[in-house]
Amino acid sequence: MNDTYDENEGALPPALPVHLASPTTQRALRVQHQVLIATRAFLGAEGFVELLPPVIGPVTDPGVRGSKQLDVDYYGHRYKLMTSGIFYKQASLLAFDKIFYIAPNVRAEPVETCSTRRHLAEFHQIDIEVAGATRTQVQAVAERLLTHVVGHVLATVPDELTGLGRDLAVLAEVLDEPFGRTTHAGAVAQLHGLGHPQSPDAEIDWEGEELLSHKAGQPFFIDDYPKGSRGFYDRESTTEPGVLRNFDLIAPGGFGELVSGSERESEYARIVTRMRETGENPAKYAWYLDMVRAGIPASAGFGMGLERLVRFLTGLDSVWQVNAYPKVPGLVSP
Amino acid sequence: MTAVRASGYPEAAVRARAARGAAAVFPPEESYGQEVFGGTPASGDLLDQARLVPPVFVPLRLEKLIELGREPLFSDVDLTTGIGGFASSLPVFLSAFGSTQLGGTELAVAASRQAGRLGIPMVIGENVVPVNGYGRGAASANNALLTRVRAYLEEVPDGLGGVVVQQSTEDADAEVWNLVYSDPAAEPLLASGRLGFELKVGQGAKPGLGGMTLLDAAAAARVDDQYAVTDVFGSPERLLRSGSPGTFTDEILRQQIRLMRNNFPRARIWVKLPPGRDVAQAAQVAWTAGADAVTVDGAEGGTGWAPTAFLDHVGVPLAECLRRIGEPGGCLLAGGRMWEGARVVKALALGVRAAALGRAALIAVDEDRGQGLVRLLDALALESRLLISALGKYRPDALAAEDLWFPADVASAELPLHLPVRPVSAP
Repeated sequence: MNDTYDENEGALPPALPVHLASPTTQRALRVQHQVLIATRAFLGAEGFVELLPPVIGPVTDPGVRGSKQLDVDYYGHRYKLMTSGIFYKQASLLAFDKIFYIAPNVRAEPVETCSTRRHLAEFHQIDIEVAGATRTQVQAVAERLLTHVVGHVLATVPDELTGLGRDLAVLAEVLDEPFGRTTHAGAVAQLHGLGHPQSPDAEIDWEGEELLSHKAGQPFFIDDYPKGSRGFYDRESTTEPGVLRNFDLIAPGGFGELVSGSERESEYARIVTRMRETGENPAKYAWYLDMVRAGIPASAGFGMGLERLVRFLTGLDSVWQVNAYPKVPGLVSP
Repeated sequence: MTAVRASGYPEAAVRARAARGAAAVFPPEESYGQEVFGGTPASGDLLDQARLVPPVFVPLRLEKLIELGREPLFSDVDLTTGIGGFASSLPVFLSAFGSTQLGGTELAVAASRQAGRLGIPMVIGENVVPVNGYGRGAASANNALLTRVRAYLEEVPDGLGGVVVQQSTEDADAEVWNLVYSDPAAEPLLASGRLGFELKVGQGAKPGLGGMTLLDAAAAARVDDQYAVTDVFGSPERLLRSGSPGTFTDEILRQQIRLMRNNFPRARIWVKLPPGRDVAQAAQVAWTAGADAVTVDGAEGGTGWAPTAFLDHVGVPLAECLRRIGEPGGCLLAGGRMWEGARVVKALALGVRAAALGRAALIAVDEDRGQGLVRLLDALALESRLLISALGKYRPDALAAEDLWFPADVASAELPLHLPVRPVSAP
């Protein structure tokens, strides 16, 4: 299977012992350690309860952009490794109003994603969910969290960053101004202006996202993705049908998407209909639909990619460089 | 046996139901996996009743004459065409066989190999994966889907053909598309732009129902939590597996297609429609949402298992489907008893880009595993060239409704639906 990567020679993880012994890896992992400390301190202070995420379940997030779920034989039942904890995040709001996970996720991404430098088959998310929140409110949490983490890392491990060649002044600019904001339609128009053929009713493609990211000086939000580009749990606007109340947060400097989030659908009939619109078979979501039918809080939340965040902070080329045990899509590794 | 007789009444059919109960709703189960199904009225359907009508004056032949510098012959008809984003040597493609014993066996592999050799696209059926499995690594030698893809790829010429993998509502559980799209084995297809995914909205053999197959007890146990498995025939070796047809509205169809385009940007997107009364609206929704091809499966039977009531009484006939669609808003494909040139050329004249061969392909490879389909299509190609050239045309896409004549009793139904025009009947 290594044949797939011939064209990207040199852009792949070395053998695991070599990777772990590398000073680059060690610096990146020290930065990651500080990111986790800062994240827990910040979210704890904002009243979030940290829960430990489930690893397997009868269903999981049906995925995006062609990634495949991995099966586990659970007493004869086909269970899934979590591609994301979205259903359990919504369930958790029955216990607490504000929760977060540091969640491991597994997605068998298409082999083509090995060239994006920001996909891992096994990765982690800082996953938050807030009962009764709006998109604007959770975007504010994302902005404060990212600003806090950048400040903390600059204060605690500047030598690790400079050792990796990161320009601290560039990183500090993140703290200077409020984050930018555009809409999906605005981003499409901007890409068309740059000569990039972006479909107006699909996810911004990876190349397009990188283009926009390079143009930006500050992190910025992209709001209002069209239905058909995202999962059934992203709430559809009641005033603008076809537009989702969701967002991505894009890092500047070509690092691309750090966060995906949304207000959530929480009404049973809406969720069943949206499941069909995303080609899902509602029958397999029985436990989730039973719970929704009994009532769950409206909410909003997001997932911030931990490895992507650390890649942005360190300025490293590929996301596998900041993961201790990297699994690049399609590559069989320990 | 009693002495009751009822002449002129379907006595035998009533007795069959009295004896066999619900099992008699279906064709005899002994024929399962040995026969393909589909009712054929003695008079044929509307498409059979139509005639191809060559003109006296042939301006397009003049064009060809000028191009060639000599009088054109039937051998000058160029049958290559574009089918849903793929280049094809002929205006036909291999349609899905479904998961009956017929669809999952060496016959299907032989058909795949020959379709590859011919350079025509191939659709692989909906529940081949959930029913027959999709192993990886060492186990993949036995895997129906990959075996067929490999057989096809071994023979297909560069720049021609394509493989389209079908998924329907139940298959969503098996994530057929995600599985194929993320598998390194699919990379050669993706790299050459020859992978497609087909959303199966319905089928011709039983419009309004989901997939139905007969499984033995072991196979039924494997799919027990995915499908309804019913004992209709009173034998553990003959269990009826039924899928749901899936719930569609125009918005559900539109969004499913958009999501496919979003998730699989390197794959072509096809949609297979049942012969529903709103087939024209459904086809338009699919094209507008970005489908590369829409296949209409006429109510003409198929390789799947269907209740006899559906074979004989349910669904819009193919010619009527094509009439309702009118001028296609995108690449239109059609299936239903396609096996020879005349029916294919008639369909092309009604706006179809290419015809789907299902049962014909299975029978052909059953006749000869190595060459059956190749020979069948040799005959179809020659016949099509003869017919198209007789119409004064030299490309399949030059065919038009002017090339067809319908008998008077059919012609009144042939008028466009919304035009307030009365047919002028002969005195």
